Amino acid sequence: MTEKSGTALSRRQLLTMIGAGAGATAMYQAMHSLGFAAESRFQDPIRLSTAPKGASVLVLGAGMAGLVAAFELRNAGYQVQVLEYNARAGGRNWTLRGGDRYTELGAQTQECRFDPDLYINPGPWRLPYHHRGMLSYCKRLGVALEPFVQVNHNAYLHSRKAFGGKPQRMRAVQADYDGHVAELLAKATRNHALDADVTAEDQEILLSSLRFSGALDGNYRLVKGSDSSERRGYDRDPGGGLRARPVFSAPIALSDLLRSGLWAALSFGARYDMQTTMFQPVGGMDRIGQAFARELKPLIRYNAQVIDIHQDQRGVNATFVDTGAGSSRQTVRADWCVCTIPLSILGQIPMNVGTPMARAIAAVPYCTGLKVGLQFKRRFWEEDEQIYGGITYTDLPIGQISYPSSRFFADGKGVLLGAYIWDMRNSMDFTSMTPAERVSKAVEYGSQIHPQYSKEFDNGIAVAWHRVPSAMGCFGLWSDAARAEHYDNLCAFDGRIVLAGEHASYMPAWQEGAVTSALDAIERLQERAHGAAA
Amino acid sequence: MNKKGAVPVAAAVLCGGVALASIAVSGLLVEVPARADTAGIFDSEPFSATDGRQIYEHICRGCHMADAGGAMGAGQYPALTKNPALGSRQYMALTILMGRRNMPAFGAKYAVGFGGPPVILNEAQIAAVINYVRTNFGNRYTDPITAAEVSALDRSAH
Repeated sequence: MTEKSGTALSRRQLLTMIGAGAGATAMYQAMHSLGFAAESRFQDPIRLSTAPKGASVLVLGAGMAGLVAAFELRNAGYQVQVLEYNARAGGRNWTLRGGDRYTELGAQTQECRFDPDLYINPGPWRLPYHHRGMLSYCKRLGVALEPFVQVNHNAYLHSRKAFGGKPQRMRAVQADYDGHVAELLAKATRNHALDADVTAEDQEILLSSLRFSGALDGNYRLVKGSDSSERRGYDRDPGGGLRARPVFSAPIALSDLLRSGLWAALSFGARYDMQTTMFQPVGGMDRIGQAFARELKPLIRYNAQVIDIHQDQRGVNATFVDTGAGSSRQTVRADWCVCTIPLSILGQIPMNVGTPMARAIAAVPYCTGLKVGLQFKRRFWEEDEQIYGGITYTDLPIGQISYPSSRFFADGKGVLLGAYIWDMRNSMDFTSMTPAERVSKAVEYGSQIHPQYSKEFDNGIAVAWHRVPSAMGCFGLWSDAARAEHYDNLCAFDGRIVLAGEHASYMPAWQEGAVTSALDAIERLQERAHGAAA
Repeated sequence: MNKKGAVPVAAAVLCGGVALASIAVSGLLVEVPARADTAGIFDSEPFSATDGRQIYEHICRGCHMADAGGAMGAGQYPALTKNPALGSRQYMALTILMGRRNMPAFGAKYAVGFGGPPVILNEAQIAAVINYVRTNFGNRYTDPITAAEVSALDRSAH
């Protein structure tokens, strides 16, 4: 039973198909329920056995999944051809630098006017220490990595509704949250509220540990003094000489802290996928895509827009048009196809696969994420506020401000990430604006946290992922229900076609999901290729 | 081939944390208390605009563009002008309720959020934006959809 996904259908068929795709339960999906904390399955470098003589593979898409698949299959001796829509490799592995021009859907072109060596990564920007696949390819391909500062205790947490809109240092919010919780737990322990759960001996240990974890005083209280200031910071730091004596700072009252909502941003750095140490490629995330592209140079056909994928008993044809040289159609053929085209686009390309895969392709909406990079005349966040890398979180529509993790203390201009919006409502709103409006809004909102913005702003660039012509969405937004019903069907071979990409992983949005899905796909491809050749 | 009935509609499940203040969802009245005082900073407010034009300009325009002309990249966003699919107000309502490929669903039963609540449009908002699109951008349809009709479609859709 096969069907053409993406061909013109009657209205009745359309409605039936929509109805069939209605498995998604309407539910609030917290990040952690989306499988974001899944551990990478990457083992040490894959060892494919030598390809059957003459075996060939068509790789559609030169993003991380396609590049990994092409690299390993070529190394194993397969004849590999890669078709890529963009004029560059990497896909969402992408960096914008001064001089780059970017035209989004809707035909608005932005010119990046950053100074030399300054950039933003509109897509992925950080590599967890346990994403061993990505780290392994960086090492093998000679891509230099440096630390990515995820957690900065001196960055801010900010809410328009709390503390009169005054940003709070993350350090103080963390210390006071820990302190208050420890004090309450100590009180409950000493009031014998835990007697049924904790032995007397363990209660003594618990109390000692709470003094440590909460920086409590000798009476198990969070008070203004040396203990708490060593965590939350001082009103005047200790020094030397006659002005040496520190001035302690007062903890935030429990009720104010709870009602501020700022605690919601405390745990990012504790997440498995955002724990220290994180990394970034020196000079921009696209160094990885570029390194693969150098390796695979003769195999990648750029500016190739795939418009039809058709398999038969012996192989797969992909028809494409060259977007640079006019519209003449060309068709390439191979024994197998590893298709890494995002589902947002693949769902529109005619492809003769069975109903299970076709329905899986249609079952995944895409996140509406968006980033804005802003260049300022100086690194005021370092010079004025001693913020070196890390992230400020805010309830403003910009979501967060991230400070560069490289070139600390540099003179001259600096670029920060002025908005990283994943919240659906705000990202749809920002996507609906012109690029200039997005930049202007990011400056307007950000100036509520950093008043220096208005004086120091130089220029900016905005990337809304639903407007990116080669992606048309940020990443596959699986619901638990859709995953339960469709995920295995999405990943399973259909004849001679197998899909790979972050959408075919339990690590949505992460490049490691693309890498591990590609490795899984080509291992299965290899088994089939040897089976077919036997 | 027959794909009908393959997928049962799951009951609306709203886990704690959604800042939806009592939205009547197609017969399943879902009451979730507003949590303004207790919410963390990432629980954004529900999308409250009721005017069709405002809804279009803050949500739909991102992909379908300011002139509703859609766009063409590696794939396409359909134009909402000179598009025969607009002839069916019911088709538009179902598409908005349930989503379509990379277009997210906006019906409370189907919408998926990320790191916060999804964008949910109620039946009146859906009707308003459909009627706006079908009477603007050169479209001249004279058969508006009502909120009750959207609600009925939501009930029957599965």
